[in-house]
Amino acid sequence: AQTTLDEWAKDPVDPEIRAHVYSLITALGGIGDDGTYSLGDDALLCLKDLRKWLKFADGQLNRRDVARCMAEANLVKGDLLEILAKISERIMQDRLKHKLAVATLELLVPLTWPFEIDPVEATVNHHRHGPYIQLAQIGYKRAILQYDRARILQTAIRIALPSMAVPLRERTPRDEGIIRIALYFIRNIAMLSPPRNAPMDIDEAEISRSTTIDTFQEQDIFQAILSVASSIGEDFVTQDVVVLEILFYLLKGIDAEKLFMEDKKLKSKNTDELKSLIQKEKAMLAGYARHAPTRHNRFGTMIWVKRDEDKVSTISGQDVLGKAQKSMQKMDTSKKWNKPKYTGRRKDGEQEREEFDLPVTLTPSARKRIKAFVEEFLDSSFNPLFLHLRKAIERETERVETRHPRQYFYLVSWFLRAECARRRTMKEKAADPKSNEALTAEDESYGLVAEVMNQETFILLNRFMQKSQDEKAWQDLNAGMKCFTQILLTVQEMSESALEDDQEIAENTQNRIFYEEATHDRVVHILRSYKDQGFGYLDAVTELSHVFLRMLERYSKQNVDMQVRSKRRARKIRKKQAEAQGLEGEEEGHVSETEDIVAAQRTVSERKFDFTRFAAKFINQSSVNTFVAFTRYYSELDAEQLKRAHRFFYRVAFKLDIAVLLYRVDILQLFNKMIKGPEGLDQESPAFKEWEEFVRHFFRTVVKRVQDRPELVVEMLFSKIPATIFYLEHGYDRELPTRT
Amino acid sequence: AAEDAGLGIDEEIKVVRKRQPIPKLDENRLLSDPGIPKLRKISKERLRFKGKGHEYGDIARMLNMYQLWLDDLYPRAKFADGLVMIEKLGHTKRIQLMRKEWIDEGKPRHTTEPDDED
Repeated sequence: AQTTLDEWAKDPVDPEIRAHVYSLITALGGIGDDGTYSLGDDALLCLKDLRKWLKFADGQLNRRDVARCMAEANLVKGDLLEILAKISERIMQDRLKHKLAVATLELLVPLTWPFEIDPVEATVNHHRHGPYIQLAQIGYKRAILQYDRARILQTAIRIALPSMAVPLRERTPRDEGIIRIALYFIRNIAMLSPPRNAPMDIDEAEISRSTTIDTFQEQDIFQAILSVASSIGEDFVTQDVVVLEILFYLLKGIDAEKLFMEDKKLKSKNTDELKSLIQKEKAMLAGYARHAPTRHNRFGTMIWVKRDEDKVSTISGQDVLGKAQKSMQKMDTSKKWNKPKYTGRRKDGEQEREEFDLPVTLTPSARKRIKAFVEEFLDSSFNPLFLHLRKAIERETERVETRHPRQYFYLVSWFLRAECARRRTMKEKAADPKSNEALTAEDESYGLVAEVMNQETFILLNRFMQKSQDEKAWQDLNAGMKCFTQILLTVQEMSESALEDDQEIAENTQNRIFYEEATHDRVVHILRSYKDQGFGYLDAVTELSHVFLRMLERYSKQNVDMQVRSKRRARKIRKKQAEAQGLEGEEEGHVSETEDIVAAQRTVSERKFDFTRFAAKFINQSSVNTFVAFTRYYSELDAEQLKRAHRFFYRVAFKLDIAVLLYRVDILQLFNKMIKGPEGLDQESPAFKEWEEFVRHFFRTVVKRVQDRPELVVEMLFSKIPATIFYLEHGYDRELPTRT
Repeated sequence: AAEDAGLGIDEEIKVVRKRQPIPKLDENRLLSDPGIPKLRKISKERLRFKGKGHEYGDIARMLNMYQLWLDDLYPRAKFADGLVMIEKLGHTKRIQLMRKEWIDEGKPRHTTEPDDED
C-alpha cells in the first residue's frame, strides 16, 4: 500500500485531546471589535477547564500531551498574557477580574514549572514531548519578560497582595494558596534557563540572568521578595523555601567579590583579565610556532631514532629534526590506542555538576541592581530568613525538600562572601582621604550575618557534611564545603576587625570550630577520598583543605595550649582520674588534683606538636593524588588556585620532608610539562616563577635521591607502601621501639 | 530423520574466527625480563646525571628512559596511560612483595633475618 504524507506525519498527540484543548482555547477569547483582546463569554470557566485538563489528563494519566497542545496553540502569549494585560489595572478593585487573574496565574504556574524527567515515573510520552516543552518554556519566559503592554510579574504579585495583607492567623488556605502560586511563578521565571543540549532560535540575551534581574528591578519584584523575606516568621512561614529558591536561582554563579568592586576597579580588573587572556593566547601561539614546520607540509622528512639493541623507530615530519625532546613526544602522541576512561556516573550528574559551578557574567546595569538588592537584603532580611530556614531544615519540615539544604548552604557561603567583600570596599573607601565617606564599616559589627555564625549552624553544617559524605551526595558536599570554607574565611576577617567584640567572637568561634577533632578528621577524609567528582568539587575540596590547614596552623601557633576534644583522649584521662580516685581513696582530694594537673599538662605538651601530627595525617598518598588531579588542570587555573597547589606541594616536599610521596614518574612528568612545555604554564604569569623555582628545587632533590638510592628507579613507578616510605626517605629503617 | 539424510554435508560450516586476544600489561609482563628487571639494568648502565644547574635536563633524560622502556615493554599504550596501568599493578600483593625485596637488596647489609612474609 502506498503511504501518504498524512500517515507518515502522525500527530504525536492524541487527536481527541487536541480537539478538546483547542476548542477551549478558542472559546477563551480573541481580538475584539476595537482591536484589543476581548474575553469570551465564559472565559473564567474555560480557564478552569483548561486547568483541569492540565491537571487530570497530564498529571494523573502521567502524560504531557495537554502541555504540548497548549504550547503549540500559543496559549501563553496569545491569550493568558493578553488577559492579564487587559485586567491588570483593576485587579485589586474588581472581584471578578481578580478571580479571572487568579485563574490565569493558576494556569501559568504549571505551564512554566521547570521540566524534569523523573526516571521512575516518566513514560515514553515524557521523552517524546520533553524537548518541545522545554523550548516552549523558554519562549514563555521570553514572552513574560519582554511583554510590553503590562508588567506581568508585577501583576502576579498584585494578585497576591490582598491575601498577603491579611494577618497570618486570619489567612484562609485559599489565601495561602494564592501567595504560594504568585511566589512560585516568580521562582519559575528565575529558574528557567535554556537547555544545554537543544539549539534555540531565540536570542539568549533576551532570557539571560541580566535581563531577568533588570526586569525584576523594573517591576519591583525585589521589593516584594525583600518584604516577604524580612517579615518571615511573623507574617510568612511556609514561604521561606520558595524565597530560598528564588534567591538561589538569582544568585548562583555570580561572583560575589566582583559584585562589590568599585566600577573603576572592576574595569581595570576586567582589562587585566583581558590582557592576561591575550597574553595567554600569545604564549600559546608562540608555543605552537616554535615547533611548527618551516616548510610546506609535503616536504616529507623522515628520521630514525636509534634505540638500544640496534633498534630504530621512524618518525616523519621535519618539526622533529634536531629536537630530541620533540621526537620523543611525537612518538608518544602518534599512538592510536587510548586507555578507556572511566565514564560511569555521568548520566544524571551532568545537570547537577553545572548547577553552581558555572560562572555567570552580568551587564553593568544588572550588576548595579543586583548589588543594591543584595545590600538591602543583607541589611534587612538575611538574619530572619536564614534563621527561619535553619530551623525548618533542622526540624525536617515537610516543605523542605532534599535540594533545599544544598541551596541553603550555597547561599550562606555566597552571602558571607558578599558581606566580606562589601566591608572590604567600605573600609577602602573610608581609608581613602579623598572620599568623604564615613567609617561605617567599622561601626557595624558582623551582626548582619550573625545568624549563620553560631554554634547551631555549625552543628547543622557538620551533620549535613557528614550525611552527604556518607550518602555520596557529592553536590551537597560541594555546597557544604563551600559554606565551611567561607565561614573560616569570615572568622579570619573578623579576627582582624578593629572592634574588640568582633575579635572576641572570632576567637570563640575558632575555639569551637577547632575544638572538635571530628571536624579535622572529616576534612582530611574528604580530601583523601576524591575520585572523579568533577572539577567544581575538586576546586572546593582543595580550597577547603588549603584554608583549613593554614588557619589551623596559625591558630595552633597562637594557642600553644590548644585542646582538642577527641574521644580517645578523653577516655584516657577519665580512666586516669578513675584510677586516682579509686586506688587512693583516702588522699583523694590532693592526689586527683595533681593528677589532673599532670593530665592537663600532658595534653598541653602533646598539643604543642599536635599540629605537626595533624599535618602528617593530612599529607599522604591519596591527598597528594587529589592535588595532582587538581594540578592537571593547570592551564585553566587562576593565580590563586595555582598558589594553593604550590603551597601544598611545597609543604609536602620541604616542610614535612616526605617528598618521597611525590617521587612518581607521572608527577615528575606533569611538573616537567608545566614548566618546560609544550603547552606548559605561561612564562609571563605571576605563578610561573614560584612554580619554576619549586620544581627546580624539587627536581634537584629527586636527582640526588636517585643517585643515593638506585632502588628508587623502580619505586618511582608506584605509589609508595607505608612499610618502605621511611627507608626511602631517610636511607635507614625506623628504630622500632622493642617491646618486652 | 531429515537431518541425518544429508549427513550434514549440505550444511554450511560456520567458521568462527576467534579474536586475537589483546596482550595485556599485567603482573607477568611487568615482572618478565623486558619489564622491571630490564629497567633496573638500564637505569644502572645509562642513567647519568649532570647534577646542579641541569635539573630539568636530568629529569627529562630520566623521563625519556622511562618512556623508551615502556614503549619496548608495551608499545600499545601512550606513556601517560602506561604509567597509570603500572601504578595500578603496584597495588597487587605480588608486586608489593617484589618491591620490598628489591628495596631490601639495596640496603647496605643483610643482617636482618628474612621477614616472615613468605
